[in-house]
Amino acid sequence: MAIQTEIIGLPPRSRSHLAALRLGDFPLIPVLILGTIALVAIFANVLAPHNPEIGSLTARFKPPFWQTGGSTKYLLGTDQLGRDVLSRLIFGARISMVVGITAVLFAGVLGTTLGIISGYLGRGIDQVIMRLTDTWLALPALTFAIFLAAIVGPSMWNIVLILGITYWTRYARVIRGEVLSLKEREFVRLAIVAGCSKWTIMYRHILPNVINTAIVLGTLELGVVIIAEASLSFLGIGVPPPQPAWGLMLSDGKQSLMVGRWWLSVLPGCCIMLMVLSANILGDWLRVKLDPQLRQL
Amino acid sequence: MNLPFERREGRADLPGLTRRDVLALTATGAVAAATASAPFRVLAAGPEGQLTWGIHVSLAPTWFDPAETPGIITPFMVLYALHDGMVKPMPGQPLAPSLAESFSASEDGLSYEFALRGGAKFHNGDPVTAEDVKFSFERYRGTSHDLMKNRIAEVETPDPQHIRFKLKAPWPDFLTFYATATGAGWIVPKKYVEQVGADGFKKAPIGAGPYKFVSFTPGVELVLEAFDQYWRKTPSVKRLVFKSIPEETTRLAALQRGEVDIVYSIRGELAEELQRTPGLTLKPVLSLAPFWIYFADQWDTKSPWYDERVRRAASFALDRQAMNDAITLGYSKITGSIIPYSFDFFWQPPMPTYDPAKAKELLAEAGHLDGFDGGEFYCDSSYSNVAEAVLDNLQAVGIRLKLRPLERAAFVEAYSNKKLKHLILGGSGAFGNAATRLEAFVVKGGAYVYGSYPDIDALYQQQAAELDHKKRAAILDNMQQILAERMVYAPIWQLGFINGAGPRVGESGFGLIQDFAYTGPFEDITLKAG
Amino acid sequence: MKQYIARRVGYCLLSLFLLSVTIFFFVRVTGDPATLLVEPGASEADIAAIHHQFGLDKPLWVQYGIFIASLAHGDLGKSFYYRTPVMELYLSRLPNSLYLAAVAMAFSLIIGIPSGVLASVRVGHFWDSAGKMFTLLGLSLPSFWVGLVLILVFSVYLGWLPSSGAGTPLHLIMPAFALGWYFAAAHMRLTRSSMLEVLGSEYVKLARLKGLPQSLVIAKHAFKNALIPVLTLAGINLIIMVQVSIVVEVVFAWPGIGRLLYEGITFRDFPVVQGVVLVGGAMIVIVNLLIDILYAVIDPRIRLGV
Repeated sequence: MAIQTEIIGLPPRSRSHLAALRLGDFPLIPVLILGTIALVAIFANVLAPHNPEIGSLTARFKPPFWQTGGSTKYLLGTDQLGRDVLSRLIFGARISMVVGITAVLFAGVLGTTLGIISGYLGRGIDQVIMRLTDTWLALPALTFAIFLAAIVGPSMWNIVLILGITYWTRYARVIRGEVLSLKEREFVRLAIVAGCSKWTIMYRHILPNVINTAIVLGTLELGVVIIAEASLSFLGIGVPPPQPAWGLMLSDGKQSLMVGRWWLSVLPGCCIMLMVLSANILGDWLRVKLDPQLRQL
Repeated sequence: MNLPFERREGRADLPGLTRRDVLALTATGAVAAATASAPFRVLAAGPEGQLTWGIHVSLAPTWFDPAETPGIITPFMVLYALHDGMVKPMPGQPLAPSLAESFSASEDGLSYEFALRGGAKFHNGDPVTAEDVKFSFERYRGTSHDLMKNRIAEVETPDPQHIRFKLKAPWPDFLTFYATATGAGWIVPKKYVEQVGADGFKKAPIGAGPYKFVSFTPGVELVLEAFDQYWRKTPSVKRLVFKSIPEETTRLAALQRGEVDIVYSIRGELAEELQRTPGLTLKPVLSLAPFWIYFADQWDTKSPWYDERVRRAASFALDRQAMNDAITLGYSKITGSIIPYSFDFFWQPPMPTYDPAKAKELLAEAGHLDGFDGGEFYCDSSYSNVAEAVLDNLQAVGIRLKLRPLERAAFVEAYSNKKLKHLILGGSGAFGNAATRLEAFVVKGGAYVYGSYPDIDALYQQQAAELDHKKRAAILDNMQQILAERMVYAPIWQLGFINGAGPRVGESGFGLIQDFAYTGPFEDITLKAG
Repeated sequence: MKQYIARRVGYCLLSLFLLSVTIFFFVRVTGDPATLLVEPGASEADIAAIHHQFGLDKPLWVQYGIFIASLAHGDLGKSFYYRTPVMELYLSRLPNSLYLAAVAMAFSLIIGIPSGVLASVRVGHFWDSAGKMFTLLGLSLPSFWVGLVLILVFSVYLGWLPSSGAGTPLHLIMPAFALGWYFAAAHMRLTRSSMLEVLGSEYVKLARLKGLPQSLVIAKHAFKNALIPVLTLAGINLIIMVQVSIVVEVVFAWPGIGRLLYEGITFRDFPVVQGVVLVGGAMIVIVNLLIDILYAVIDPRIRLGV
């Protein structure tokens, strides 16, 4: 149940304090990291030295080139089926990006729309949608994902669907909160007086003002979604093999970790970590830049 | 995570980011590298007179009751400890008299007589009598129970030590079903069961086996204690504890640390690791479960799999030996049949060979010079590694497939409800003989049959009515031969089930009973002295 | 006031009702438990017998009716797999999950609150960044992986801690850490923004003007006030943690609710899944309700209508 109002007793942030915080710091490294991942994802076909899905059992478990037994043919080593790890990581970027961004978009569009409708129209619809989010929340996210996976079966797009349906509620609640306060603002009242229809107002006036929040949420949810994908793979219901999703590689590599073949697990783990960490830092920064007046997120 | 509210942040991040990131990365890498190069120590700990198992599944109380056995091998990991049967598989004897001292069949095959062993007792001290045997049979409601009930006319108990089963018609498979395939021949105490009811029985089971029940915490552990009045011998290990550790890596870690003494089901790289660790022993057992590829739409004239040459090409494309070495350390047994080697009426087909050149040749002949899109390939997600290897091999000769691993429950349901298509990676650990296997997987009307061939169906009907063993065998051989020639299935191997034992274990009980994947008989298991 | 509470309670019940319906039908769409409880190749009769035993052959709405009726008596039905009452299974495992969640929460607060405080105060300093990175790292690594690495390092390699199961406090350390680390970031963020708000308040400015040393200002005035929302969040996250612990519980073979739920889904054990989800949902809904009421008590504007 969202706390719907401001906490009394705490006045607005002091300007001088903020000034001391050097708001201008742009998180260069995270953005560069995310940008690189995106580029790698787009140009995977060109960048990857081998086919990520085909290997040969005779070349199994080769270590990265700087260890004994490694070779420059397979720069980062090979996995249990002899597939080149570097190529898999590169193509995995594509899958992680696609799954992550699409799931977030899906959840975002769904959640934002419902949040706007719920917040602006209020009354009955609001209650219904809010009860729905309550119910959804009571159903633990991962459990819900497992259910859906059992019903629709695994495939990359099904995973996107599953993740999208699982994570829309946060958007709805937060956006709704925003809309509630926006509703009282001058420009909205003016629009009503001017005779604009409800839908016009929601689309042309409310929406642009909540987009910022949605974007911030999206960046933060990106990390959550990618970690969720990895957890689903661990439970056996993620993006199906032989697709080289990082989460799947991480999960497959857990045995190798125990046996000393660290590269099969640590490398995808690092990729995930870099991507999620960058998304989180970026999201935190965006939250400051795009929404100075935001009190609840 | 849903946060009801979260306050706004002040600062964003700092220029010091680079250092932190690298630090984190290095730390992770260092940890990983350190663990990679360090040898693992095996700690030997564990209370006196007790052995602990780390098992790969969650124990279900239905397994404490032989009346509800589902016809697969898993419940027997517990049944052999808690209960005893009239006749059961033992070391060196597939049908060893146990609770029954002797048994015989009448000439006309219409009645079977069992003589109970004097002095056999239940855990509560009550003697095992003919009434209990009759009761156990009549309350049996596990797999094949209506099959058995329909064929048995009557169960007679002429005296407390003798039981006679009268059949309606001669049924040569009676002993197979009674003694091995079902739990109907495992005896429970009638008085006690009637007293506490079926559910009460599962909470505190009493049997005639070498160990008695102490406690059970669902999903966590089962504790058993030696029953020193067991007829065969007093068990040497006083206490048995079975812990559920479903996650494989954790299970192995537990073995390495000495938290458990015996583990079931360790696969792939972890098995290699087990092998390398001093103090731990690998205990592979050939299971009763053949694995195969089923061509589900070979009866569809529009499908590329309709052509027998294409199916044979797929079989030639599989490098079974390499897969065996990689995934099961070579302990699986390659096979050309969907029927396990040790089954009655097993016919040895020609061994499959690895010949990718020939595969491509066959494909070209069938009109697929550049390969083709084979459709979808379904498997149980716990066997994705096998499926991936198969996929790889098929890809190498040009057959492209999309892998669809399904969670076990979903897979089993979809498989038996005929919802899958194209290629299926299947397997079965069910008991029986060649006839029962063919019935379920080949003959029209079978649970996993997606299509059938009329000549095979006709032969099946024939053998079902044939009483002469030799003649029946000949018909079944013929059926299996047609099956192989037509490549209805492309069998891969009979799965090698790899287990592990720690340094405290003397006789582990692995491999003593043929075809039994788990430890048994429990009364023969010992701790190492000292 | 009463009206407000009544309304809120009404919404709660509505949510729970919706939840029960959702979970009931959802679970039945996922498959047929009978196929998992019999041998591959069982006869129709075998399967039908199981359906009958579990009451699955009755029409859906009748099954639902039975479900709700037993619920009224506190009876969640009997597990298909374990043949024991779900309530019993749940209650036997709940303490384990709460125990784990509590310690995980402790870890998460130990990591999160100091990082948050440091982040808000020592802006631009090494420790600010380090703390923040460490906390965010917890959010960036899948908990199953963290768990496995922990087992590897502390259990197998160093031999300090037991690898799995429950029993001694030592068994608790690794799973609690793996679980808690993930939540630390949320607590850090909240502590930090909360601290910043308070530090910018008139009250604190006055304290500074009075010449009180910085550390005193922080410790006595800012911190305590800032902590309230954080603890509120922690309370809610505690319940969420119990639900999110599936992966950690599977890795560590921890006998908690998460594993019970996971196995229930794997075995299509309808009563278990329904029971766990419903009870979990009820807990979240009730906690939220209590918080709402608490805030209504504190802030009259809320209860007079939003």
